[in-house]
Amino acid sequence: MFVVRPVAATDIPALEAMSSVTTPGVHTLPRSRATIERAVERSIASFKAQPDMPTEEAYFFVLESDGVVAGTAAISATAGSSGTFFAFRNDVLSQVSRDLNISHNVHALTLCSDLTSHSQLSSFYLNNRSGMGDGAALLSRARLLFAAVAPHRFSDKFFASMSGITDANGRSPFWEALGRKFFQMDFLEAERMIEGARNRTLIVELMPHYPVYVPLLPGEAQAAMGQVHDEGELPFGILSDEGFEPDEYIDIFDGGPILRAHKNALRSFSQSMRRTVAACAEDDTERTAFLVAVAREDGFRAVLTQCPPPELSETLGLDDDAMRALDVTAGDAVLCVKL
Amino acid sequence: MLVVRAIREQDFDGLMALAEKVGSGMTTLKPDRKALGQRLEIACASFAEQIAPPQRDYVFVMEDTAIGKVVGVCAIKSAVGLDEPFYNYRIGTLVHSSKELKVFSRMDTLYLSNDLTGCAELCSLFLHPDYRHGTNGKLLSKSRFMFIAQFPHLFSEKLIAEMRGFQRADGRSPFWDSLGRHFFQMEFDRADDLTALGKKSFIAELMPRHPLYVAYLPQEAQEVIGRVHVDTAPARRLLEQEGMYFEGYVDIFDAGPVLQARVSELRALRDSDLAIVDTGLTLEREDHPALVATTRMQDFRVITSETHPHRSRIALTVEQQQLLACRTGDAVRAMPLIPKKSPHA
Repeated sequence: MFVVRPVAATDIPALEAMSSVTTPGVHTLPRSRATIERAVERSIASFKAQPDMPTEEAYFFVLESDGVVAGTAAISATAGSSGTFFAFRNDVLSQVSRDLNISHNVHALTLCSDLTSHSQLSSFYLNNRSGMGDGAALLSRARLLFAAVAPHRFSDKFFASMSGITDANGRSPFWEALGRKFFQMDFLEAERMIEGARNRTLIVELMPHYPVYVPLLPGEAQAAMGQVHDEGELPFGILSDEGFEPDEYIDIFDGGPILRAHKNALRSFSQSMRRTVAACAEDDTERTAFLVAVAREDGFRAVLTQCPPPELSETLGLDDDAMRALDVTAGDAVLCVKL
Repeated sequence: MLVVRAIREQDFDGLMALAEKVGSGMTTLKPDRKALGQRLEIACASFAEQIAPPQRDYVFVMEDTAIGKVVGVCAIKSAVGLDEPFYNYRIGTLVHSSKELKVFSRMDTLYLSNDLTGCAELCSLFLHPDYRHGTNGKLLSKSRFMFIAQFPHLFSEKLIAEMRGFQRADGRSPFWDSLGRHFFQMEFDRADDLTALGKKSFIAELMPRHPLYVAYLPQEAQEVIGRVHVDTAPARRLLEQEGMYFEGYVDIFDAGPVLQARVSELRALRDSDLAIVDTGLTLEREDHPALVATTRMQDFRVITSETHPHRSRIALTVEQQQLLACRTGDAVRAMPLIPKKSPHA
């Protein structure tokens, strides 16, 4: 059975093993023992904290498959945390001369901090992408169920950066045309030095202050804008189904799309139902796949289970396995949403 | 014999014939009857001092007196950008530096500017191909410095000259193709024509509003910034001899350089002297000829002469005096055509 739960200190060795096989520049997991330990400590402290409003909290979740850590996903209360989150906004400038009967649009990328106060989804990773089935959707969406359970911990707006196009050698055409001119180093080296972050002061120091006119970029770089890396197809699909959409924001390093949504557009918020747990009668025949999360901030859990349709009921019937995995008993509150 | 002189109303046909020989990239000399007619009118009023100094446009022609034909043209505009905006790119520098990453990037940028508004401008230089030999080109171009040296009070502090920018053998401008084309959606010649017609509002409408990083341009376009057209290289050298130099302003369409100088620092203001015309002197010959100009604004004239002033007197033949329309005892202004080599050079 798949269970998503907050990361614990005992997960550190498993996370370290996992990070050694991730692709740099594509995955945003912490990579060294020290950064993993920091991320875990920070997550534990964040779950314990009682914030009045979202600030520096970062919540780290793991997916357990039959008791084994099989994936990670994180959500930050605010993308900027203590800094400013940078993205390129793809602005449309209209070029019109009435006298000459000329009218066309020119796109320009502007370094912006618009997304700083959004909540950010990150660090989505599965050990075995193809073998996890619906566990992938559970892992990705459990974060949002947590946000629906504790909305005061998050912004009303969410985004997720999808990794952009790189080739087998880790070369990013967008980086070659843009970031390299300012950073004077390879894409992977820059990602390593900045540890995948987009909220560091050095970005202001190095990235262009003025808009970058898109038609001046080489075709290869223009083509990479807003395009997802092969490895990003899975999370892209899951988040699109959830209600996220790509719009005018792209990543400042590899040009990958940034998916955004207001919480009202997300299924975890708008279509989730709050129900009390009831034991499931054995003879119930009709069952549907649901994501079910405990409606409490302390000891949060989420599972994927088959249960009787709860639409017309005040209760949600769960079998013993699911109740055990969620650590709930009959009468506890849960949040559920259709897979 | 060749003389450069203030243009007259009768020169219209000659001017038009010359303008038809000019190719693209020269905004201020287009074969447009109406525009040229207006220009001639303003030029005549300028020499007659009938209009205020900032509005003046002094146009000079080179005449081959043997055949009575206009073979060259050049001009000085008193002030640019007072009626319609005068645009250039200023090459600037932005430093992007991070101590943490030990990165220091020095980036060239192009800023759209009207910085040169109000400067006097040397423009519209064109010499008939048949006359491009000897000292003819120098006489034509440098005659203007003699005029400025005679009437410096009529000019603003700064003098500029826009040089035609680099074009490939097929006539295309790599700078335009990499930059302007994306914003203007038209060919270079059309943009150039519109500018010549004074229809400049399209520049404000269509030009990129933000500074540009040069590093984004293709290598070929980067390399031609501040480079002149092959045919313009000699003209650039002449102006540089007279004290003009490139200070980082370029044309917004083809990135040709703008040369600049303070009027007070021009060689002509330092090295030219007044002298009295005298026929009775033995001729003081030197290796290089001198420029000799009259001192009247109306019917201002310049020629080259083998003789140089000696003790504030200069020997001119009767023929030369006729070319200059002056007589023995008149004052003229003279200067070596080519600057004397500095002993330290």
